[in-house]
Amino acid sequence: MSEPEEFSQKIEEALRNPRNLGEMEGADAVGTVGSVDCGDMLRMWVKFREEGGKRVIDRATFQTFGCETAIAVASVATELIAGKTPEEALKMDSRELSAPLGPLPPVKIHCAQLVEGALRSALAPDSGPAKNEPLAPTLLESFQGGDAKPKQIRLEPQK
Amino acid sequence: MSELLQRFPGAQRALFRSYHIGGCSSCGFRPDETLAQVCERNAGLPVEEVTETILASHEAEQKMQISPEDLSRRLQESNPPVIVDVRAREEWDAVHIEGSEFLTQELMQEMMTTWPKDREIVFLCHHGVRSLDATSYFAGHGFSNVKSLSGGIDAWSVQVDPSLPRYHVE
Repeated sequence: MSEPEEFSQKIEEALRNPRNLGEMEGADAVGTVGSVDCGDMLRMWVKFREEGGKRVIDRATFQTFGCETAIAVASVATELIAGKTPEEALKMDSRELSAPLGPLPPVKIHCAQLVEGALRSALAPDSGPAKNEPLAPTLLESFQGGDAKPKQIRLEPQK
Repeated sequence: MSELLQRFPGAQRALFRSYHIGGCSSCGFRPDETLAQVCERNAGLPVEEVTETILASHEAEQKMQISPEDLSRRLQESNPPVIVDVRAREEWDAVHIEGSEFLTQELMQEMMTTWPKDREIVFLCHHGVRSLDATSYFAGHGFSNVKSLSGGIDAWSVQVDPSLPRYHVE
């Protein structure tokens, strides 16, 4: 089986039975990345427990408007981090969090980063994206009217 | 990146279609970043491959467009595409193609969450540039059958339906 086929089969498996999907009541931490507008929002809830004098992740759940890959990655990642301390979980990058799915095709790497971002936002909210420097105009701004200025329309006379 | 975008106007659309970069504020880049830096922080994308993709973007964009005549023909056929208009509200109020949909936040969300990814969608704007951005944006989100009306509603007025007046935005 080729790598792309193997990847889509693993995604399908994860989608058929997504783990830890849905909002969690009484969570200790919540993290969100992306925005609903972009179609790319992912939110993660985390609950801790004490184990051997350490605080470890009891379980994590997620909700997303992202793509299927984001669901699949969030599903495997929430399983992977259960039982880890927040520090251990924060050390995992998007590649490790999506490891059970195998290497992601380049176009899907962003989906795994979404999961990593939500986890970071939940576990270390202050460490968030530090650089708040202005971005180049995005595609979304281009066609959603970045400028809200009212426009005057002048119709050409009909011939 | 700003220099790159000046030389290759389609670069941002190509980056988003292929690598999900530059679409919204969570995957955007700064004007002063280099392509190599952007690749580096996107899980170390190979710069050569990304450069190839940008160089091939002109041809890719030709394929993403539909001419006014072709769209007019498609609309007469049995399962016509849905037309999504991405212009400003004022422009829509002045002129629009009958049966087309105006893109609101609500419609956008509905499209992202419930529309089949293989649904045939034609985006249109005034002159065919913003609609190309919208087409790339949806293509980057997995929509496989999206096109942009070349020349926009202006070309439509000239080539297909002269009863729709042309207009200027002031």
